[in-house]
Amino acid sequence: MSLKKYYEFLSLLVFYAVLFFLGLAIPGMWQPVSLIMFYVALGQCFNIFLGLTGYVDFGYVAFLAMGAYGMAIAVDLLHRQGLGVFIIFIGLVLAVLMSTLLSLAVGAVALRLRGAYFAIATIGVNEGFRYFIEGARLWGGSEGIIISGPLRQSLGPQTVNYLSTFVADVLVFLIAILAAFVTARIINGKMGYAMMALREDEDAAKVIGVNVTKYKIIAFVISASFAGLLGACAWTLKMTYVFPADVFLITYTIEAIAIVMLGGAGTLLGPAAGGLIYGILKYYLAIKLPGLQLLILAPLLIIIIVIFPEGVVGTIKKRGAWRPWNS
Amino acid sequence: MFDQLAGNLLFGIVLGAVYGLATMGLSLIFGVLKIVNVGHGQFIMIGAYTAFWMFTLYKISPLGSLFIAFIIGLAVGLIIFYTIIKRLTGAPELTTLLATFATGIFIEELAKFFWGPDYRGYNWDLGRVDLGFTLLSYSKIYALLLSIAIAFLIYLWFQKTKLGMAIRAVVEDRQGAMVCGIDVQKVYALSFALGIALTVTSGVLVTLFVPVGINPYMGHEYTLKAFVIAVLGGLFSPWGAFYAGFIFGLLENGSYTVLSSIPGVEPFSLTRTVTFLVLLLILLIKPDGLLGGKNK
Repeated sequence: MSLKKYYEFLSLLVFYAVLFFLGLAIPGMWQPVSLIMFYVALGQCFNIFLGLTGYVDFGYVAFLAMGAYGMAIAVDLLHRQGLGVFIIFIGLVLAVLMSTLLSLAVGAVALRLRGAYFAIATIGVNEGFRYFIEGARLWGGSEGIIISGPLRQSLGPQTVNYLSTFVADVLVFLIAILAAFVTARIINGKMGYAMMALREDEDAAKVIGVNVTKYKIIAFVISASFAGLLGACAWTLKMTYVFPADVFLITYTIEAIAIVMLGGAGTLLGPAAGGLIYGILKYYLAIKLPGLQLLILAPLLIIIIVIFPEGVVGTIKKRGAWRPWNS
Repeated sequence: MFDQLAGNLLFGIVLGAVYGLATMGLSLIFGVLKIVNVGHGQFIMIGAYTAFWMFTLYKISPLGSLFIAFIIGLAVGLIIFYTIIKRLTGAPELTTLLATFATGIFIEELAKFFWGPDYRGYNWDLGRVDLGFTLLSYSKIYALLLSIAIAFLIYLWFQKTKLGMAIRAVVEDRQGAMVCGIDVQKVYALSFALGIALTVTSGVLVTLFVPVGINPYMGHEYTLKAFVIAVLGGLFSPWGAFYAGFIFGLLENGSYTVLSSIPGVEPFSLTRTVTFLVLLLILLIKPDGLLGGKNK
């Protein structure tokens, strides 16, 4: 593990640290910083699948929702046991477990399919699952789970307040760092080469002996379990409730795609750049033009796709690698 | 119980014709351009709003709206083709999927911006016919007949005209068609516009089946349904899609009837889950379609 390979990751750490201390030092800055961080984390998590494999998952938000439910169910069931803060750890474990299980189930079916067929298979995951929860009246059905009461009972109001206004955001920071670290490990390792081969030409990769299905499933499950963590921390812990109509919103999938494409799919720095740009844009749009984010975001996404198909970081990287004397 | 099942299945066939028509455009675009239009449902929404506004503002019946919707669809299709799709032909699948997805969201948000997020509806009441076991409204019978008529007209157009033949040639063999002097770009533009026009037209007929009315986000549901139907019909063939629409209509209404006999569940929501499971199942077992379309 030579350090040189991890320069990008280290610079990313510096970026996170700067953002973190900016949020702490400047009064009123924590809220925008935590919003930006959520989008950076979302981009990092989604990039592990979309960026590395080149497959689009239109149902990605379902895994965030699973994580949100995992945390809510854990708190709802166990708050009388006197577990204290340990309940949050159980919630995180359950969140990862549930999103991993769903991703294994979806991946085992959908990842046998190629390209467009895969996208078609995933397009209904979030709605299919949402309507299952509502239709079968699972986990509170369309009324959802509200955990603010149970949390207050077991941890006390002050701890809960601290948890939802500060700790949840710090956890999102940690998730972003962890996701970036995993991405760096994958890109620099054997799996990174396999992924690159698979992204460029799946048939050729198969012929030279790359187990494409295995790598696709690994990337899918890792990406989904990170989404579960993010859903548990950024939604359930922060909001202290889960409603199916909120957590299965296709908007988050679109945002994740936009961030990854904006920064550059498959790069380590791309999602961070995309998340930063998108987070700032969204924060100010939400103030200036409330309710119009998607109206502005959708054409932006189209323009990026048509003009900068490689994303911001990808385009700069390409420019950097361009050597006129060699051509 | 039997009457209810028979009534629901008949309704499934009637609705299935509209579903079939609503999916033909998706299959046509995929067959010719090899592009999956992930924003498909939003074009159905445009058609639905066309019918609504024509009816409430100008007292034009859905019959007249069909033509208007077709023209609007052609125009919208051509605009989207020349601004976005044309630049992406030959691009990786990821790019076209994202582009059509974003286009759909943009259309949806435009609709919400101009017309608001609320449900709207209109009532085109022509009376009902009593079939003994169920009542069927005349407007739905019109929808059935019109869907079949439009599908048949399109079929004739494909078989008898030079342009239709050119499109079929491109589906069959892109390079071969080029060698024969067919302007492939023009065929792409025409097929895309025709596909969108058919979809928008079907949106007019869809309004005759939505009891709660229409809203800007109604498209998602139809995107999912259209994918199930298109996959059932083999994805490449508009005719396969049209027939598969009937199968899907029967399946949907049949499963609704079965699910509503289970106590403690909401059959309407669960039917949507069943739709999704059917999609996964078909993709898994027979990804080239139950009706024997060819795969790649």
